[in-house]
Amino acid sequence: MTTINRARRWATAGTGLALTLSLAACGGNVGGGGSDAAEYPDGPVTILVGADPGGSTDLIARAAAEGMSDELGVAVNVENRPGANGALSLQELAGEEPDGQTLAVFNGSLAYITPFAVAEGEAVSIEDYEVVSGLSLDDYVLVTAPDSGFATVEDLAAAGRPITFGTTGVGTGSQLSQELLFNQAGIEATSVPFDGGAPTLTAVLGGQVDVGSIQLGEAIEQIEAGELTPIVTFAEERPTYLPDTPTAIEAGYDVPVQQSRALVAPQGTPAEVVDRLNEALDATFETEAYQQFNEDNQLTPWEVDGAQVTEEYTSNLQDYRAVVEEYGIDLGAEQ
Amino acid sequence: MDFAPVLDGFGVVLEPVNLLYCLIGVVIGMLVGVLPGLGPAATIAILLPITFGIEPVTAIIMLAGIFYGAQYGGTITSVLLRLPGEASSVVTVFDGYALARQGRAGTALGIAAIGSFVGGTVSIVALTLVAPLVAGFALDFGPPEYTALALLGILLVATVSGGSRLKAVVAACVGLLLATVGRDTFTGAERFTFDNLNLADGLDFVPIAMGLFGLGEILYNLEERHRTVHAPATVANVWPSRTDLRQASGAIGRGSVLGFFLGILPGGGATISSLAAYALEKRRSKTPERFGKGAVEGVAAPETANNAAATSSFIPLLTLGIPANGTMAVIFGALLIQGVAVGPQLVSQEPELFWGVVNSMYIDNILLLIMSIPLVGLFVRILRVRPAILAPVTVMITLIGVYTVNNSVFDIVLVIVFGALGYVMKKLGFEPGPLVLAFVLGSLLEDSLRRSLRIFEGDPTGFLTRPISGTLLVLFVLVALLPAFQALRHRRRATAHDAAAATDDKELV
Repeated sequence: MTTINRARRWATAGTGLALTLSLAACGGNVGGGGSDAAEYPDGPVTILVGADPGGSTDLIARAAAEGMSDELGVAVNVENRPGANGALSLQELAGEEPDGQTLAVFNGSLAYITPFAVAEGEAVSIEDYEVVSGLSLDDYVLVTAPDSGFATVEDLAAAGRPITFGTTGVGTGSQLSQELLFNQAGIEATSVPFDGGAPTLTAVLGGQVDVGSIQLGEAIEQIEAGELTPIVTFAEERPTYLPDTPTAIEAGYDVPVQQSRALVAPQGTPAEVVDRLNEALDATFETEAYQQFNEDNQLTPWEVDGAQVTEEYTSNLQDYRAVVEEYGIDLGAEQ
Repeated sequence: MDFAPVLDGFGVVLEPVNLLYCLIGVVIGMLVGVLPGLGPAATIAILLPITFGIEPVTAIIMLAGIFYGAQYGGTITSVLLRLPGEASSVVTVFDGYALARQGRAGTALGIAAIGSFVGGTVSIVALTLVAPLVAGFALDFGPPEYTALALLGILLVATVSGGSRLKAVVAACVGLLLATVGRDTFTGAERFTFDNLNLADGLDFVPIAMGLFGLGEILYNLEERHRTVHAPATVANVWPSRTDLRQASGAIGRGSVLGFFLGILPGGGATISSLAAYALEKRRSKTPERFGKGAVEGVAAPETANNAAATSSFIPLLTLGIPANGTMAVIFGALLIQGVAVGPQLVSQEPELFWGVVNSMYIDNILLLIMSIPLVGLFVRILRVRPAILAPVTVMITLIGVYTVNNSVFDIVLVIVFGALGYVMKKLGFEPGPLVLAFVLGSLLEDSLRRSLRIFEGDPTGFLTRPISGTLLVLFVLVALLPAFQALRHRRRATAHDAAAATDDKELV
């Protein structure tokens, strides 16, 4: 029964009249459901993405889906379910059959940053999901417009006025990284949340806010063109894509904040299915196309196994909880 | 200015796929224009789900084509049946139908088509020159400017659009209220979600637009159209004579300019500019008594102006991200769904999309000129389709369409709820336009206002110290006070008159 439902959903997932076209386009993969011994996959696999098409999470999911589709011999579709920083898609995944036919990309920030911003019942825990594998890390970089005259954290401290900083949203790494930095550096600062990376970038470029913390891939073009000055990155070590910018740690502030992404399945997914998915992912990671994709998008591979993902997310959550409490930071209702 | 991206835009339009969708768009537009009732906003809303599967530029080219086609098509029924297919063709009825009764329906349609073509084309050229200028200020537009712009947009739509001003303001307020549903993006607090996950992200634009514009209009028209439709007058000799052309040329020229400027104004657009152009011609004419009895200028002026305005109403949308009318709000929704960030950066960040859409309008105009003059007979035949067949089919397409967007049954329920609301609103004389626009601009207004206040550290005078936001707010106050001023002046004149009368009385006594 579920198979029928899923098949029907997949069929309507395309779009009204364009349906025939898209069916024809990916028809090669449709009927090829694996009926081999493992009985997995049974028809097309869906990866839910809790963000709009075109964003980094979406692109990562699509790059992984492409490789996995070749490996698994079935269509792997990416379905966007934007909402609540991605929590909506994960809530939906939790309600799916644990058979590996529906997966989701888990944004690490949801596990270890968002809980400080939303009510307790709305937070997502990585422990409620079966983690297939880690995917990649994305770094945050603190940027400013060149004519702001700021180049280092010390410059910001010496501004002699409260500064404003743009964040990519409430409960994001962008917000946490800056809150932590300015608290540690004793800089008086007000956060201004925007809807994602692009609007934050525009606000910094136009001098609407003094600084902003943006994912590296979204800011790299402007940095290379000299339209944005990078101040620090929040990585543990200098990212290879931005070798000349110090990390916040080097600048003397203990604020490692990174975005990470992992592929997860509903809790209770059989171990052999998770193994099969892992195989497919590992093969994907090996392909030149996928590696090139990471490089093009300034992503650092983080292809660790499920147990390690859960462990790192959990320890991150504890570490951040400690510093957030130490500095009395409230990411949510600080209005 | 740099013309290279403009030329690249032609490259985009001339791709076969885009040409095809251009043609599909104008044909659909022409059809809905001919069918009284279904307007371009409703049609675009109903067709939104189709656009998700295609490239953004192709999708918007098609939607623009529909908007355009409807302006041309609306004329046909105005002239032949005295039934305006579109609100923007209402004034065309006066002289258009009069001409048809004199057996000159062809002349009326021909003049209208030529006027539309000229008006549209002049407006595209102006748009090409003006849009990059506005976009040059792109980075100066921060949260305070968007706050002022959104405020101004909502106010203009509420006050300038047709019908009762109070009702429009009420509808806009409902739209603003609906925009607050969902998770607060600043604090993460839930607002009006009633613990329903479907509402966590707020109401979706698509079901609201499809319900209010689509389903609501269909229901309303079904009731309206029970009266029998007369057989259309025969159309012969569509090419206007040289005398007619000479007579209409002034009206076409003035209509182009007037339409262009009125179209830029939020809340302006095709309908108002057609009314204004007609009024202008009648006032300028040495023989105003001919108007209403088959004056060629009376057809040329409104039809030219409504097409010029249809084009220029893309300017606020494509350069500022502020939709100027209901149809633009739906196109705005389509762009958002496609992941295109509409705003001052659009011209520089997505030149292909921007110029592709702008330049596709030339093609639209050419296609429509061809369809309006030699092929007009074909479209006249469509008038014979009975609403009893058309309406259920459209409802079906609407409901299936909205389901495919998110595979969500909840959205179907929303369409039905908003369809019922749209029907009731129309019955009570409320336009759905201001509601949809305020809904679209509501979250922009709220977010920008809160962002601005954080930037200003809670000091609202900050809005006035920035040149652009200050100017916009002064404009806002002027527009808001305009009706009060007019009323005051009216009353003062009336009192002065009374006083004068009183003095006269005294003298007499």
